[in-house]
Amino acid sequence: MEVCGVPPEQDKTKGFSINDNADLLAEILSRLDGRSLGVAACVCRLWSGVCRRDTVWEALCTRHVSGGAATARAVVAALGGYRRLYRLCMGPVLERLPPARRDEAGHVSLSLSLSLSLFSIDCYERLGGRQRSSLLFLRNTVDVS
Amino acid sequence: MGPYPCGSAAVGWEGVRSEVQCTAAPDIDGLLAGAGYRVRSSDLCQVAQRLERLESAMVYSSGGGHVDYDHLASDAVHYNPSDLASWVDSMLSELTPADPGPVRQAPAPDGWVDQIYPQPQRAVAARMEEEEDSGIRLVHLLMSSAEAIQRGDAALSGSLIDEMRLLLTRVNTGFGIGKVAGYFVDALTRRLYSVSSPAASGSPAEYEILYHHFYEASPYLKFAHFTANQAILEAFDGHDRVHVIDFSLMHGLQWPALIQALALRPGGPPSLRLTGIGPPSPDGRDSLREIGLRLAELARSVRVRFAFRGVAANRLDDVRPWMLQVAPGEAVAVNSVMQLHRLLTDPDSPGPAPIDSVLSWIHGLRPKIVTVVEQEADHNKPGFLDRFTEALFYYSTMFDSLEAGRANGSAAQQQQATAVAEVYLQREIRDIVCCEGPNRAERHELLVRWRARMGQTGFKPVHLGSNAFKQASMLLTLFSGEGYCVEEVDGCLTLGWHSRPLIAASAWRADDLEDNARPVPDNFIFSSISSTSNTNDSNNNNHNNNDIINSNGSMLRRNSNNNSRSSDSSSQQESIHGM
Repeated sequence: MEVCGVPPEQDKTKGFSINDNADLLAEILSRLDGRSLGVAACVCRLWSGVCRRDTVWEALCTRHVSGGAATARAVVAALGGYRRLYRLCMGPVLERLPPARRDEAGHVSLSLSLSLSLFSIDCYERLGGRQRSSLLFLRNTVDVS
Repeated sequence: MGPYPCGSAAVGWEGVRSEVQCTAAPDIDGLLAGAGYRVRSSDLCQVAQRLERLESAMVYSSGGGHVDYDHLASDAVHYNPSDLASWVDSMLSELTPADPGPVRQAPAPDGWVDQIYPQPQRAVAARMEEEEDSGIRLVHLLMSSAEAIQRGDAALSGSLIDEMRLLLTRVNTGFGIGKVAGYFVDALTRRLYSVSSPAASGSPAEYEILYHHFYEASPYLKFAHFTANQAILEAFDGHDRVHVIDFSLMHGLQWPALIQALALRPGGPPSLRLTGIGPPSPDGRDSLREIGLRLAELARSVRVRFAFRGVAANRLDDVRPWMLQVAPGEAVAVNSVMQLHRLLTDPDSPGPAPIDSVLSWIHGLRPKIVTVVEQEADHNKPGFLDRFTEALFYYSTMFDSLEAGRANGSAAQQQQATAVAEVYLQREIRDIVCCEGPNRAERHELLVRWRARMGQTGFKPVHLGSNAFKQASMLLTLFSGEGYCVEEVDGCLTLGWHSRPLIAASAWRADDLEDNARPVPDNFIFSSISSTSNTNDSNNNNHNNNDIINSNGSMLRRNSNNNSRSSDSSSQQESIHGM
């Protein structure tokens, strides 16, 4: 990643910095994988803000999934948002897949539907106000070799 | 040799077996002693097995055969070779340090050892050997004790139980066979020494907590829920009004995922009704309604039209079809996770079992799908020893899988969940071992028996499909412990540990494609409203009762129409709506 900042010799009227346009930045970041997004969020406050946008994480989660984006967005937003979905469910699920399979459309869409199921259970538990424990098993380390 | 029978089952010591009989034992012993060997003839089969293992260890050692076993002649510590058993053991432990062995293979049917192996080994390998031996001994003792109980010999089984307790103090009871044996010894003790017949103990609230921890600690219940949900989802395809009847609501953990999946289905969500059956809460709280409210809130947030109804009943056979208020024109799904087995009776007891009438009225509802998940075990045998043996191996496997989960789990909460999950299983063990007749609720039967039963009642099987299989496989990858396996058997899915299936999920249908609107047959109608203690329910039900008690099916249909219309208004008390 390039250092954000304008090289001194470039004239500001002619040059362009990625930080000038947050939407463009979001568009670029939405093509990253989960870990890189996490790293990007640590670069500076602007980037961290952009990385909090749910659209970026939505692009990550629905990369290989076709159709029904608008309704899915509403449902996922009601359940807690894509960023939370990725952090709690989709990330751990994708990690368990062998690396070769993590980009295969079939596996990713199955991961997404499974993650959504687990996510809805988590949301339900939050509604009850009790201690949320249905996703604890995802925190365990699993040997994926 | 005391009152214990002389063991004669020899696996591999063919020559000796033909000569070792009870009457000849002293002679053989005398001959061996004369030759200078300190070993009893009854132990020879064990020694033979170990010699075979020693031979295979020496000849087929790992790495292709060059094992330096010259050290066996000089460096290894051997014990008195005239004590054959320990001498072979010490050789084995030098060669194969980690050989845990099949503790859970079926034990030799008649023989068991009453000799205590010599104690003084200090090597870790020797300690593991001893653990394994103690494990095998525990299994043998458990079998003998159960057999004594079946014969009615309380004194013998009592003394065996004492011996087992002694052995348990020397064995690691934190895991493995020691732990399972501990639970079974406890259950046997209860059976032997309890004055009153132990009925199911604990309150429904307690049971819900245990169930919840079992849900967290292991994949079995999640597998059950997800597989059933997938079948229900596929069956509801194309229907606008759907009704799910859950035979055991608990905390309602199965339904958020279905609500979410229905919200996301192409073509939009249907309007969903959920009828949850559960035990009445003793302290006046309407726990069913609370769960319903939570589910309604979730459904409202994802914009699924939702209505909930709670039916409080202690036993499933107290539930009558009219309590469920199935409306004509809606697609019905019946979901039973580990509930149907409670309705069974002893196989050889005469007369109809409650299961038959319940299955009949389920069939009468003409459901699009009936999802049945049951333990894959044969725990309904009338003979005590058979049942005990089956249960011992089933729960050993189950505890093994829990143990693997605990070993990999880091969060303290996960550890706690595993510990409480074991208590959940202990309850089942106690029920299977201690209770007889109508007191016993855990009457697990194998999938083949359930298939036959469902087929007899008129249900047609529904194949669970590859989506369900893939989802189950992916779910398993999330769980630590690589021993879980999902298998598909004739359209049903089973989840097991190391190729022993432990839980089986199947799906059935009973809808007539040409006659969807047939009303519920009223020959199951009730003589009294026996156990619904939910006051809202009973108010409404009294009303129904008065209307229907003198009428025929048409009155029932009209009444249920009224109900379905009035259930759209928000004033009906026991239905909770989410918009």
